[in-house]
Amino acid sequence: MAIHTLLFVSLLIFSLIESSSGGKKDRLFTDLQNSIEVTAKPVKDSGVLEAGKDMVTITWKLKSSSAKVDTDTAFKTIQVKLCYAPISQVDRPWRKTDNKLFKDRSCPHEIVSKAYDKTPQSLDWTIGLDIPTGTYFVRAYGIDGDGHEVAYGQSTDEGRTTNLFSVHAISGHHVGLDIASTFFSVFSVVSLFVFFVMEKRKAKLEQRE
Amino acid sequence: MEVEGKGGEAGTTTTTAPRRFALPVDAENKATTFRLFSVAKPHMRAFHLSWFQFFCCFVSTFAAPPLLPVIRENLNLTATDIGNAGIASVSGAVFARIVMGTACDLFGPRLASAALTLSTAPAVYFTAGIKSPIGFIMVRFFAGFSLATFVSTQFWMSSMFSGPVVGSANGIAAGWGNLGGGATQLIMPIVFSLIRNMGATKFTAWRIAFFIPGLFQTLSAFAVLLFGQDLPDGDYWAMHKSGEREKDDVGKVISNGIKNYRGWITALAYGYCFGVELTIDNIIAEYFFDRFHLKLQTAGIIAASFGLANFFARPGGGIFSDFMSRRFGMRGRLWAWWIVQTSGGVLCACLGQISSLTVSIIVMLVFSVFVQAACGLTFGVVPFISRRSLGVVSGMTGAGGNVGAVLTQLIFFKGSTYTRETGITLMGVMSIACSLPICLIYFPQWGGMFCGPSSKKVTEEDYYLAEWNDEEKEKNLHIGSQKFAETSISERGRATTTHPQT
Repeated sequence: MAIHTLLFVSLLIFSLIESSSGGKKDRLFTDLQNSIEVTAKPVKDSGVLEAGKDMVTITWKLKSSSAKVDTDTAFKTIQVKLCYAPISQVDRPWRKTDNKLFKDRSCPHEIVSKAYDKTPQSLDWTIGLDIPTGTYFVRAYGIDGDGHEVAYGQSTDEGRTTNLFSVHAISGHHVGLDIASTFFSVFSVVSLFVFFVMEKRKAKLEQRE
Repeated sequence: MEVEGKGGEAGTTTTTAPRRFALPVDAENKATTFRLFSVAKPHMRAFHLSWFQFFCCFVSTFAAPPLLPVIRENLNLTATDIGNAGIASVSGAVFARIVMGTACDLFGPRLASAALTLSTAPAVYFTAGIKSPIGFIMVRFFAGFSLATFVSTQFWMSSMFSGPVVGSANGIAAGWGNLGGGATQLIMPIVFSLIRNMGATKFTAWRIAFFIPGLFQTLSAFAVLLFGQDLPDGDYWAMHKSGEREKDDVGKVISNGIKNYRGWITALAYGYCFGVELTIDNIIAEYFFDRFHLKLQTAGIIAASFGLANFFARPGGGIFSDFMSRRFGMRGRLWAWWIVQTSGGVLCACLGQISSLTVSIIVMLVFSVFVQAACGLTFGVVPFISRRSLGVVSGMTGAGGNVGAVLTQLIFFKGSTYTRETGITLMGVMSIACSLPICLIYFPQWGGMFCGPSSKKVTEEDYYLAEWNDEEKEKNLHIGSQKFAETSISERGRATTTHPQT
C-alpha cells in the first residue's frame, strides 16, 4: 500500500508541475512575424540524406525587406529547429501542427540555439543519429528575454511544399543483436524439449516401480 | 476410518489420514487456507511460481507501449500501424487461451504453461531485430500468445485451493500477474535509460532493452518446470501412468464446457472488465502523453499506476467474492460482481469526458480499482460453473477477455474515427451494457441474482454429477466431481436453510 501512496503522491506532484509550467497565455503561431530569412541546403546534391552522415548547410538572417527598424530588438536568442513536412505528418497525430505554440508538435528536433547578434549566420549541420526517417524543412524562431517566440522564418513556403529534404534514419539494428536473439531463442526451445524428455523418463521410471 | 498404531500404542492413533501438507486441506487435498508469505510445497509454491510466470508474460506482452515514442520513430510507424499492433498483441491469446484450457485438462498446468512461455520467448528476443511495421505487428502478435498463461494460473489455483479461498487465490495470482502490465511501463523506460547511459543510441537502446523481459520469461518457465507440481498429490504425468487419474475424453470435456451457457456469459462479461484493462494498457500512456502534453516518463508513471493497482485491486475482488460467498453464497458473488463491474463502466465513461489532468488521474485510479476488482470477482464464480470442464470454461472466459480487448480496439481505437477521449467514453458505455447478462446466470442449487435456488431442491451433487453419464460413473471417472460437490456446499451461504445432505 505504501508503494501505491508513494506513486499517487509523485503523480500529483508531476501533474502540478506540468499544469503550472503551462501557465503562459495561449500564444499562436499566426501571431508571429515572418521576419527571419532561413535557407537549408543539403550538402549532397540529390537523393535521400543519411542520418549521422550527411550535412545540411543552414543560414539565417533578418529579412532585409522588413520595413520596421526595430523588428529584431526583442530577439535575445535564435532557435533553429528541424520540422516535419506535411507528408511526414500523415496518420501520425504525435507530429501534428497546431496554431497554439505550446501544443504544436511539428518541430520537435532542435538543431541549434544561439544568442542573437544581428549578423547573418550559417551552420553546417550533420543530421543527428536520432532523427527519424521523413521529409523536413528548417524553421528558426526569434525568442525574447522571457523565452517567448516573437518571430519566425522557415526554409520553405507557407504551404510547406517547397525546398524540402528527405532523411533516412539509422536502423539501430546490429548483427550482434540478431546473434543474441537467435541464441536465446534456440536455448529456450531446446530446453523445453529437454524438460519434456526428462518428464517422460521420470514417468516411465515411476511406472516401473 | 481407523489407523492402527504400531506395537499397540494407545492414545496417539488418529482416525484421519496423516497430514502430509503444510496447510490444512480438504477431501481433494486442496488447501483450505491461504498463507501469502509461505512457499511450502505444493500449494503456496504453486501460487508463487504461477503468478510470477504470468507476471513475466504480461511484462513481455506490454513491453512495447511505453517505448512507442522511440519505436515509432525508428520504424517509421503510423497511427494505423500502432493500432494494428495493439490489436495483434491481444488477439493471439484468444485462440491460445481456449487451447490452454484443454491443454491444462490434458497435460496439467505446469507443462502447458511452461511450454507456452518458452515457445513465445523467441518472439520477445526477436523484437530486437525488427526493421519494419510488419515486423512490429508480428512480434507483438506472437509475444501476446503468452497471455494464455492466465488460464493455466487459474486452473492451477483452482486445483490447489478449496472453495472458501479459491476466489482469493485466483484473484491474487491473476492480479499480481496483471501487475506486469503496469510494472512494464516503469521497467522498460528505466532499462532504456540505463542502456542509453551506457552509450547506445536511442534506436539501438530500445532493442537491447527487450532482452530483459525475454530473459525473465525464460527463467520463470524454468522455475515452474523445476519447482512446480500440478496437483497436491503429484504431477499429471505420474498420476496418469499410475492409473490414479483416468484420462478423460477430450471431445466430451470440450462439448460439456461449450454447452454450459454460463461460460459464455462469463466470457462476455470478462471481455468488458479484463478487455477494458488490456485496452487501457495499450492506449493510456499515449493518451496522457498526447492529450495533456506530458513527458514520456510522466505519462509512463501514470500508465504504470493503472496497472499497478492490480497489486491489491484484483486480489481485493477475489477476496471480496469469497467474503460475499461466506455470508450470501453464490448469489452474493454474482451481485458483487455485477455492481462492481457496472460501476467500473460508469467511471470509464466519465474518464473520457474529463479535461483536467489531476481529475483525470484520480478518476483513472478509482476506475482501475473497480475494473480490476471486477476481474477478480469474475473468477470467484468461474470455478463453480463446471468441474469436469474447468479448463475449458476458464479458457473460454479468459479468451473472452481478449476478444473484448480486440473488439474494443477495433471499434473505438483504430485510426481516427473517434478521438481517444470519445473512444474511452464509448468503451465505458459498452462495458455497462455487456455486464447486464450477469443477471441471467442461474445455478439451480444456489439461485441467481434475482431468483432463489430451484424449488425442486437440486443439490450440488446433482449439478456436478449431471456432467457425467452412467457409463462414465461406472468407471469412477466422476469421483473428483463428487468431492468437489461436497466442498462446494459452502456456496449456499450462511443465511439459507440447509438442504438435506446426501
